[in-house]
Amino acid sequence: MTRHIDLGVLFSTTGPYSLMGQASRLGVTKAIQQINADPSINLMFHPIERDPGGDIDAYAPQCEDILKSSAARHVIGCTTSWSRKEVIPSLERLGGALWYPTPYEGFEASDRVVYAHACPNQHLLPLLDHCFTTYGKRIYLTGSNYIWGWEMNRIARETGAKIDADVLGERYVPIGSVDIARLIDEIAAVKPDFVLNQLIGPSQYAFLDAMTALRASDPTFAQGRCPVLSCNMTEAELDAIGASAEGVISAGPWFCGQSPALPGNEGRNDFGSSFEAAAHASVMMLARLLSTSPDAEDLSLRQLLALPDAARIGISPRTHHVSLPVAIAQVRDGAFVPIKTYAPIAGDPYLTQGPALLEPMLRIVP
Amino acid sequence: MKRRLRIPELGGARAVILHRPHANVTALVRQLQAVGLEFECHWPDLPATIGAADYLFIDVDTAHEDQFPWNPGEAPFPTIALIGSEAPGRIEWLMNFGVDAQILKPVGDNGVFSALLIARAAFDARISQAGEIDTLRRRLGQRQTVVQAVAILAARGKSEDQAFEQLRGLAMAWRVSFEEAADRIVASVRDTCKGEDHV
Repeated sequence: MTRHIDLGVLFSTTGPYSLMGQASRLGVTKAIQQINADPSINLMFHPIERDPGGDIDAYAPQCEDILKSSAARHVIGCTTSWSRKEVIPSLERLGGALWYPTPYEGFEASDRVVYAHACPNQHLLPLLDHCFTTYGKRIYLTGSNYIWGWEMNRIARETGAKIDADVLGERYVPIGSVDIARLIDEIAAVKPDFVLNQLIGPSQYAFLDAMTALRASDPTFAQGRCPVLSCNMTEAELDAIGASAEGVISAGPWFCGQSPALPGNEGRNDFGSSFEAAAHASVMMLARLLSTSPDAEDLSLRQLLALPDAARIGISPRTHHVSLPVAIAQVRDGAFVPIKTYAPIAGDPYLTQGPALLEPMLRIVP
Repeated sequence: MKRRLRIPELGGARAVILHRPHANVTALVRQLQAVGLEFECHWPDLPATIGAADYLFIDVDTAHEDQFPWNPGEAPFPTIALIGSEAPGRIEWLMNFGVDAQILKPVGDNGVFSALLIARAAFDARISQAGEIDTLRRRLGQRQTVVQAVAILAARGKSEDQAFEQLRGLAMAWRVSFEEAADRIVASVRDTCKGEDHV
């Protein structure tokens, strides 16, 4: 008999970071359709959706609303670390679990969360390794004024110190601010080998526009020199950024056109970005775990991840992080072109497991 | 001054938990494993191999000094308190015993990683401050020697300032501390006096 299971969906598909929220939601929708149409899986997901609209204080109440007003125990959701931390107490109180399918800065391993997108050993460290080797060791750090930028840049500083890299500057911009003239002046003055950019939303767009203007006026910054790096830029934002995205080097588990996509996608790769792919993979992995036994929806997340299938599909029962491939890609002619791709590595949220041995990914289909 | 936090090597570090079997220990162990530490639980006695521990977690609700083979305040590794009862008597015991970080019970979903970082930083600061205080104390104890040495040099027709400068010059020439140079001068005069006594 087919089991009907409520599934919480909590993304901001409106508001300041709606592009990412919409990408994630689309991945969830595709997976639910796929599961519900698959006669070999004896369960049907019913989405219970809420849209916090990017309002940080709406996340916890809406998460609680999902858990109280439906039978849903699993919620796929959240784009930012801040919102994830907001909903964890609600999950604890009401016995829920969150599948978090966007990149983040690490240093968390909640018993209530599955981390289904990349953490720093899966995005930042391989990206820095590539850029220190290719462009040089004189770096400039910038980001939006909150945990993502602060922590990512701290890791970059610490990683750089180990190889005697010079941090020429480190500057933060308030979230939403497009006042980045000082930042550009400083970069123009110190002439770094590359810029690690952890800006988000409008600040990042304004920054990339200003960098494009700088490249046109100063030959030191001509296209191909002093690239801008990102650990969360995907195809989801490319259209919004436009031509200024040209040359940006980003790291993530997957970029459009790569095959296969993530292990959890089970061979499918018709996604617009890794946000969509990781959200799809989250629902697929959950479905696989729930289908292993008839009462699996009553299991706690810890019990669910203790099933042998969890490790098989790449979720660590120790850290709740997912094994993911690593891709470093550059925007060329308006699309991400992979420069380096590596086979899946385990997430190491506290960076305590030593440097990962990155094995080149062998199957790349352009 | 802004302090840059040095992140300790936590992967494979050894944490010892002195606590009876309990849900709090289960929650603590889950977090330790997620961070990547090795752990062992003991109650009520510490293992003989406690010296090789990197971190110690103690249960303030039930702990007593006889359990620990060191004097209060002298734990030889970073120590983290698990606090349940906030009764002043227990907090007083905790203050006397001396720990480097604390976690309130019930142990939940997080808190262990930051406690490990804070405990390591506080422990390192405690050790280096103890060394510094030791040095300062020794130098303070040598104040009288410095006064004597300056008096000896001044007795040879110099002003106090000149004598002081001469002592500084001697310390630099001998490549020893100011106090050590003073000690040598006083000792040499004392030896000379002794020699004269024998005559």
